[in-house]
Amino acid sequence: MSDIRFEGVTKVFDRGGTPFTAIGGIDFYVNDKEFISVVGPSGCGKTTLMRMVAGLETPTDGEVKVAGNTVRGPGPERAVVFQQFALFPWKTVYDNITFGMRSKGATKAERDEAVAYYLKLMKMEGTENSYPHQLSGGMQQRVAIARSYAIDPGVLLMDEPFGALDAQTRTIMQEELVRLARVNPRTVLFITHSVEEAVYLADRVIVMGRNPGRVREVIEIAGMREEEDWTSHPIDDVMEMESFTHLRGQVWRLLREEMGGDR
Amino acid sequence: MPDREGTPERRRGLPISRATAIGFATIATVLLLWYVLTSATGIIDRNRFPSPAQFLAALQQIISTGYAGGTLVEQTLQSLWLVTTGFLVAIAVGVPLGFAMGYDRRIEAFFNPVFLLLRPIPPLAWIPLAIVWLGLTDASKIMVIFVSAFVPSVINTFTGVRNVDRTLIEAARVHGAGRGRLVTEVYLPDALPMIFTGLRLSLQASWTTLVAAELVGAFLGLGRVLSIAYRDINTAMILVAMVVIAIAGALTTQLLALVERRVIRWRTL
Repeated sequence: MSDIRFEGVTKVFDRGGTPFTAIGGIDFYVNDKEFISVVGPSGCGKTTLMRMVAGLETPTDGEVKVAGNTVRGPGPERAVVFQQFALFPWKTVYDNITFGMRSKGATKAERDEAVAYYLKLMKMEGTENSYPHQLSGGMQQRVAIARSYAIDPGVLLMDEPFGALDAQTRTIMQEELVRLARVNPRTVLFITHSVEEAVYLADRVIVMGRNPGRVREVIEIAGMREEEDWTSHPIDDVMEMESFTHLRGQVWRLLREEMGGDR
Repeated sequence: MPDREGTPERRRGLPISRATAIGFATIATVLLLWYVLTSATGIIDRNRFPSPAQFLAALQQIISTGYAGGTLVEQTLQSLWLVTTGFLVAIAVGVPLGFAMGYDRRIEAFFNPVFLLLRPIPPLAWIPLAIVWLGLTDASKIMVIFVSAFVPSVINTFTGVRNVDRTLIEAARVHGAGRGRLVTEVYLPDALPMIFTGLRLSLQASWTTLVAAELVGAFLGLGRVLSIAYRDINTAMILVAMVVIAIAGALTTQLLALVERRVIRWRTL
């Protein structure tokens, strides 16, 4: 059971002496094994929100609770996938994937098994002794995702994980993530700039507003996905379905209102 | 699915052997020019600069009968021993100190004032004090080498550790790494290239300081050979000592580079 509860969460940064409210009082509840996408204009604090769940930032006010416990620092039950992959360049694919497992005291046999499992799942067999710089961006991010999955975290936090990839790789990764999320469901907080990606992946999409950062609206996706059976269609077909374009339009309109000042 | 990029072998390939060929050609030209300007034409006065024949004679003299109190092997081993000892002691203290200062701002705040006071003093300015304290002994030279080699290893290690990729630290922390694993598996490997830069600079400083210290006062060593040859106005022997110092310095630098490639293997693969 790994739910996330935001209780009056506020984050104020000190910007060269003047306080800046990045997050202004967020109350929100993420169910166990629910996939939540977070979209919003830049500066709305969506990354800060994720970092507070990760324990990399502390709320100025309010509390973030995961599985009922207040977050007080980073922990392997809340793994993060970073936009720039953040793989250890001096470690092989094997050692990167098993980095977190070793923190948890996994045996050699368990680590071998996990590496074999994830490399097969991602069609990357035979790369265990490669170093990250020998892999393409897409492959590097697969390794980073495997590293996070391998420690069996209750909560997965993803900060624009596909933002640094080219469009084609990105689409492939989105499909793979959906596949992975189905075999291996987790509570996911997925930060993204892409409305398509948010709607395609999530059970619910949070649209955030800024000044200060807050939850503007929550859009339900899961019901429509079930009804129209998105998961049994390729991603390109889904993105042309009326159910999809309708939801995407809804999110877009909200986002555009929030970005008003930019246009 | 995107494939791997071109193999490193292909990227390095041929140009290296061509560069080597050009290098050999340059050396051959310089040697030829040397012969022409001294022995062949006498454009350069042999009292100012030796001919190749004089150089070889001096080389043979110091190898077989010795010069300035020892044979070439004895003189070189003495200098190598001092450089190696001074360098190793300096980095054994300097790297851990730089690491601690980069890792913890309180330790930095504690040691930094001392550094600000000592850094502007040129290492060679320590020679008189070292001689007064320790005499014309090995210890006084090791002390001066220590002072000069210490600073670059501290500063570069400090910079390397202070500039460790914050995202990698966070990635390690969110995947359950404690302080010990952070230090050995993130800070240290990420800082290693900078640490080795520091070691290289320290080694160069060690050689510079050693020669200066031996010039001022020593009973044995390549600097001693230089100072005696200077008193004898023996330009051939001066050149021999310079060349041997250059070779010894280059060899130790190469050795260090070899260690670096071994330690940071992941970068070259």
